[in-house]
Amino acid sequence: MKKRIIAALLAGLMVVSVTACGNDNSAGSAGSEAPAQEAAPAESAGGSDSKEAPAETAQPSGPVELTVTTTFAGEDGNAQNYKNAVKAWEEQTGNTVVDTSATADETFKMRVATDFETGSEPDVLFFFNGADANSFIEAGKVLSIDEIRAEYPEYATNMNEDLIPDSLVDGKKYAIPVNGYWEAMFVNTEILEAAGVEMPGENYTMDMFKADCEKIKAAGYTPIAAALGNIPHYWWEFAIFNNQSPDTHLEIPESVEDANGQAWVSGMNDIKELYELGYFPDNTLSATDDETFAMFTDGKAAFLIDGSWKVGGIVGACQSDPEDPSTLDTDKLAKFDVTYVPGKGSRKATDLIGGLSSGYYITRKAWDDPDKRAAAVNFVEYMTSDEVVPAFAQHAASALKNAPVVDPAEFNELQLRAIEMMAGVTTLTGAVQDLFQGDCRVSTFDGMPEIVTGKVDAADAVAEGLDAYHNQ
Amino acid sequence: MGANIYRNKKPVFVFLIPAFLFMATFLYYPFIKNILNSFMSIKQLGSSATSFNTPWYGNYVDMIHDQNVWTSLKNTLIMMVVTLIGQVGIAIILALMVDNIGRGKQFFKTVFFFPIVISATALGLLFNLLFLYDKGMINQLLESLGKTQLTDWKAEGIALFTMMLPVMWQYVGFYFVILITGLNNISDELYEAARIDGASTWQCVRYISLPLLHNVICTCSVLAVTGALKVFDLPWTMFPKGMPLKSTFLTGTYMYYHTMETKNVDYGCALAVLIVVLGIVLSKVVNAIFREKDY
Repeated sequence: MKKRIIAALLAGLMVVSVTACGNDNSAGSAGSEAPAQEAAPAESAGGSDSKEAPAETAQPSGPVELTVTTTFAGEDGNAQNYKNAVKAWEEQTGNTVVDTSATADETFKMRVATDFETGSEPDVLFFFNGADANSFIEAGKVLSIDEIRAEYPEYATNMNEDLIPDSLVDGKKYAIPVNGYWEAMFVNTEILEAAGVEMPGENYTMDMFKADCEKIKAAGYTPIAAALGNIPHYWWEFAIFNNQSPDTHLEIPESVEDANGQAWVSGMNDIKELYELGYFPDNTLSATDDETFAMFTDGKAAFLIDGSWKVGGIVGACQSDPEDPSTLDTDKLAKFDVTYVPGKGSRKATDLIGGLSSGYYITRKAWDDPDKRAAAVNFVEYMTSDEVVPAFAQHAASALKNAPVVDPAEFNELQLRAIEMMAGVTTLTGAVQDLFQGDCRVSTFDGMPEIVTGKVDAADAVAEGLDAYHNQ
Repeated sequence: MGANIYRNKKPVFVFLIPAFLFMATFLYYPFIKNILNSFMSIKQLGSSATSFNTPWYGNYVDMIHDQNVWTSLKNTLIMMVVTLIGQVGIAIILALMVDNIGRGKQFFKTVFFFPIVISATALGLLFNLLFLYDKGMINQLLESLGKTQLTDWKAEGIALFTMMLPVMWQYVGFYFVILITGLNNISDELYEAARIDGASTWQCVRYISLPLLHNVICTCSVLAVTGALKVFDLPWTMFPKGMPLKSTFLTGTYMYYHTMETKNVDYGCALAVLIVVLGIVLSKVVNAIFREKDY
């Protein structure tokens, strides 16, 4: 009998040991009699304009561990700025940040969506404010700025309200932007010189671009650095934009037959034409974006359409140690420039894609945790303060009310050229792909190789994507 | 009473319960749920299924008309042949050669087995560098030998070869170790007797080693074929999203693509069911073909 009891106990112990692995609080909570006490709400949020903000605003009762997910990682130009800012905040408050940042690609977006669905979302999230955020806003998993202000009245008051984008779900404002973005065309001027091509300017057209590409190709270089089989996003956006105008670009076609639908088809066919002319790398269908970017920085490809975050990537490629700015080879960096994307029809070259597409969210999970609420607010206030934001915004826009005067001495040559280029922009329009999310993209993003090789008709691919969009 | 404790088997069941619960929770429940999900509409990964598809078997109809499904099935079958011939075949040759050398057996065992301990993702990255179009090691070697044009090892016509070569290379050592253990179990007396009768080395291999290795080869073949169905990480690292032109999809990578990339989760579930059915059918076929012999 004793042996049976021992056997049963042992078996029970095994079950407990297995289940305990998945239970964070099993030991601690089992013996606790009362729920954790609510922390007293902070008296004031304030301090929106000072690095000393944590001392006088939202104050957690003790050191807190915050999980923060951002897109400041990988080749993002602000990856290092983010690390520095987090370190400074940690030193100032005694809190710690568990950083789960990653490069902003489709896998990252999927990860964030899944985290919210499964209840494992971070406490603070720096994420897109377009359609990507719809699912967790619809589920009420993040707080609107107004909701936070009910308890912390000074929250985000240093921002220009008009520049904070509204949610597509309910028109409320959720994410506090830090740095804006733009998409433009980077140029390897060394190749242009070798091919006898002038630096493109504000009146650059698609026909001029094609003529230049022909010269570059004849000189033995690849005209366009792009991996159509991996990241066709930038060409997709501008090719469609080139067949529309800034006024109509953000309208998603009702069908492939209407004017906008036809513009999308023409855009896809424009990319196909460039592919057939041999302006993309030979391995554009099988290469990764990293490979074609390396072609650009290694002086093998002339043009690269990409976002403002790529400035950091190019600068990093010009450093012998990508982590150490003091190793920057300024002569190498001088070979790169940035200019407008060739225009066509109603779109001028100076009409670019850009805006404030991302921002800091505070999740309801953190808000409902009495230990984390104040720390999360404090962290976002710090990261969006007048002192921290300019370091991130650099050559791009910000939503600060009191944008500080930038000191040119703080910028490298490419950043200064970007500032100069941005001064000539006529309109800055959001990216329509931010509204066109999910499996509706598959036929024209993942399907781009089939479109350019003629295996799938552009009109069919666009129609398939629009059907998927309207059936969502 | 003392002897009864050995006849009473009930305590054994008590010990089996934890493992059973573990399997039920993490294998059988998800499997049944996956079958159900393949008939449902799921908005994105992590979302609950809201309603049945219209028609409820729609994903299975779509699968029949999906060209990529046929491509992935074809590639998976090619992968099986490659693993059988490339992995088990090469492993047999290596094992027989190593078995016939006097010194250095342990050295070769270690060298050939080593790729198994490296993660498939790391190997994928390594082979990505080898096959890189610009500045890749192989293209540089070819350039130094006088080739003027770079070869795109990931281009449509050659991508499958580039994908399967590292997969094949990685697991040769695994079957090599199993086979050489089988060879070690063959009594030296048989070889000595054959030598006295005047048998050549080839005759020893043909009439002693291979027949007595039959069951081991059968086991390796079953493992290779079923293993080919599960290959995922290395192909996905080297050829994400079935690049180029969706020509390198395997059943596993295509299921992952739909589940994780296109957010078509219920279709991914249907593909997972297809993989399970394929696995069961092929296991039966392979077991029937490579039936072990009783000696």
